[in-house]
Amino acid sequence: MFMLDLFGWWYGSGWAGVLASTKKRLEGLAEAFSTKILLQTLFSPWRRVITYPGASIDAKLRAIGDNLVSRCVGFTVRFFVLLAAAISFVFLCVAGVVELIIWPLVPLIAIALIVKGLI
Amino acid sequence: MDMLNLSNPRARQARLGRKIGKNGYAILLGLSVVCVVTGALLVFVKLHYGYVLIGVGLFASMPALWWRYELSKIPPTDTSLMGRLSKDLLTRLVPGTTYSPSILWEAIKTDPQALFITNHLLLHASNMQGCFSEDPNGLQPLLNSATQIADSYDSRTIEVGHITTALLQSSPVINAMLVQMKLSPADLSAVSNWLQRLIVAMHSKPQNFGGIGRDWASGFTPRLNQFGHNLSLSIEHYGAHFGTLVDSPGVKDIKTAFSQGAHALALIGPDGIGKTSHAYALAQNVLAEAQDPTLEHKQIVELDASAMISAAREPGQLEFILNGLLNEAVHAGNIMLFFDDAQLFFHTGLGSFDATQILLPAIQSRSVQLIFAMTPHDYETLRASNMAFAGLLTPVVLREKSEAEVLDIVADSATQLEGKQHLLITYPAIKAAYTLSGRYEADMAYPGKAIKLLEQSLSHADGGSIVIAQSVEEAIEQTHGIKAGTAAPAEADQLLHLEDSIHERMINQKRAVEVVANALRRARAGVSNPKRPIGSFLFLGPTGVGKTELAKAVAATYFGDESSMIRLDMSEYQQESDVSRILSDGQHESKSLILSVRQQPFSVVLLDEIEKAHPNILNLLLQMLDEGQLTDTGGRTVSFKDCVIIATSNAGADSIRQHIEQGEQLEQFETSFIDELINGGQFKPELINRFDEVVLFRPLNADELSQVVRLMLAEVNKTLSGQNISVELTDAAVARIVEVGNDPRLGARPMRRALQRAVENTVAGKILRHEANPGDHIMLDTADLSL
Repeated sequence: MFMLDLFGWWYGSGWAGVLASTKKRLEGLAEAFSTKILLQTLFSPWRRVITYPGASIDAKLRAIGDNLVSRCVGFTVRFFVLLAAAISFVFLCVAGVVELIIWPLVPLIAIALIVKGLI
Repeated sequence: MDMLNLSNPRARQARLGRKIGKNGYAILLGLSVVCVVTGALLVFVKLHYGYVLIGVGLFASMPALWWRYELSKIPPTDTSLMGRLSKDLLTRLVPGTTYSPSILWEAIKTDPQALFITNHLLLHASNMQGCFSEDPNGLQPLLNSATQIADSYDSRTIEVGHITTALLQSSPVINAMLVQMKLSPADLSAVSNWLQRLIVAMHSKPQNFGGIGRDWASGFTPRLNQFGHNLSLSIEHYGAHFGTLVDSPGVKDIKTAFSQGAHALALIGPDGIGKTSHAYALAQNVLAEAQDPTLEHKQIVELDASAMISAAREPGQLEFILNGLLNEAVHAGNIMLFFDDAQLFFHTGLGSFDATQILLPAIQSRSVQLIFAMTPHDYETLRASNMAFAGLLTPVVLREKSEAEVLDIVADSATQLEGKQHLLITYPAIKAAYTLSGRYEADMAYPGKAIKLLEQSLSHADGGSIVIAQSVEEAIEQTHGIKAGTAAPAEADQLLHLEDSIHERMINQKRAVEVVANALRRARAGVSNPKRPIGSFLFLGPTGVGKTELAKAVAATYFGDESSMIRLDMSEYQQESDVSRILSDGQHESKSLILSVRQQPFSVVLLDEIEKAHPNILNLLLQMLDEGQLTDTGGRTVSFKDCVIIATSNAGADSIRQHIEQGEQLEQFETSFIDELINGGQFKPELINRFDEVVLFRPLNADELSQVVRLMLAEVNKTLSGQNISVELTDAAVARIVEVGNDPRLGARPMRRALQRAVENTVAGKILRHEANPGDHIMLDTADLSL
């Protein structure tokens, strides 16, 4: 009965659960990396470190320059974080697919390995 | 029973999951890892048996994963009974057993959920044997009832708590036990709701509040970090636990006001209503839910006025700091500033400063969202002093919640207190905190006052670890100096023989003593109206017949000391302006009736010669007698519900004397006498009707006056006891003093002067002449008296 129940779960809700847990992990990843917020604010200045433009042209040009630097810093940090998120996303997707394929084969692989070891 | 098919796969798996447990899971997982790693190493060194180990390891991982993702959880599968029974319940049921309600109770009674309910209701398992039906046919209705309870909570699973609630509800014995503890079926449901909220909180998934990049588009806030407290970050770090408050009408009102364009809110509510908690709940709501653009990713920072004031060492520095904080909040873009106790920022004085001129531009420019928490009184003061500023604030008024809602909030707070203090706080204690704080904490609102009282009760826990209703009563008795608990046997005995105690110092006036004693007994037994004073009496009669003495006797015997009496000579309150001397909150008058009762809420209030008071003052007394409270000039109410109100009057004294001299008994002319007073305009009928009793005192006869003399002599002896000297009067001497001291118009009052002259002067002379020495007993006859 134990084996029947175990295999019943393994090829039933257990296998389906692999897909669900992969989806959950991906959602968690997207939230942990704040992907939506980072995409919305990709070109925003870093932590609002900005220079307010003065009256003179010099001051205005300096503010544009400073703010451009701040935006560049912001973009760079966000870009690399998004890149890390994307890599993690791909990794989790691949792992999920592999897991989905390997999962039903685990009992067969186990039997095959035992047989191989014994003969 | 068919309805509990415990051999179905779900029940079987629940039992298996319990057998494997966390330890079994760890062993299986460890075995799996060890086998796979060892096997791989063996294969690496070309040993074929390594494949066997890897295969075994993979096989071991299967039940480990099964336990991890299925057996440890046993989620509901369908809407049938067996598909919904919780894992904890299924693991406690044994296949092949014919379950009746009684056997089911035995199976679940040690489950934490069952213990939660029984412990909080003070139902001991030992007392509950035989409380449930032994009939297996009783199981079906019980399970139906549990299913309904689960449905009412929208719970997909039927938990042990639901079964426990259904069991307790079904038992007439348990219901009788609850009634004995002054609880009701509704209280059982309330504890069940309390448990359900805990179950939901424990099963709720950890919330994600935006991830690592949430605040990268917002500015740095170093000064706000120094002078403020970020409520949002507190919730993020220490957990969200504001429960039902997060979606309360108050939080919704705040969000609506902001979404409609308001930038500065006045969050108005009395102390204790939860203004700070609402700010926290708003912070949690904003963090957890998708918001409209005005609130999305906003963080609430509470400014610390005291930190700002202590940091300002030079004139103008305070304004500089606040200005800097406002600029920083504007620049950061994601900050909402919360001013708790906002009046500290609106007034000049110790621990506060007037920041309205600095805040005004920020509000007018609508550059930052601001919340000012204040009491209605503070809001009105602000409106009166700075209408322009107050007009810019959008008021959001927090309303007091219903009794059921308050009890839920107090229970949830009790859960946190239990966790911190390692105590059990019973539901009767929570109810007592609600009831007693409602009665004695007039200056605060719910739920704050009930939570405050419950916190004070923790140090009175029974046996050091269980907070019961008595703990709450002891706490309020200690803090307010009142009697709130049930009378102890000794006190009950004293109450039952109160007349005897009073008569030890009062001669005759049996009817007056009896009505007062009855009122005190009613109040102490909890059968009198709790919304009115303990008792209110109008004592009518000639001077010197014991009206004031009875008031003193009540203060001494019931309230513990003669000093527990607040005495007002109403002849000093004849002007309309004297109303302020009754109602003063202490700002303009240093003494008032209200202040005295606030300091001494458990006392006798004696209003001497009430007929002489100004009519406006008498109107105030109507409210005091009717509602048991008065409101002072500052708008705060003070309760008279633990006072005995005694008003005295000499009105109609001659008439009483005439009736008595004609040989009538008080009862014979009482009604007509009171009618005479009303018809004669001496008392308004509405005032007379407000008193619980109008009591007539009759003049004392010679024999009673003799007893008064002996009582007074006892007082003299009490004074002389310090010198170890005692005095005795012969009957003739007593009769002589009565003869000299008796004045039909003044009753027993001149008797004291007569005794002073006759005895005290004589004894004083003897002591000074060394005729009386310690240990002497002086017997005085008529000839010895210096009259």
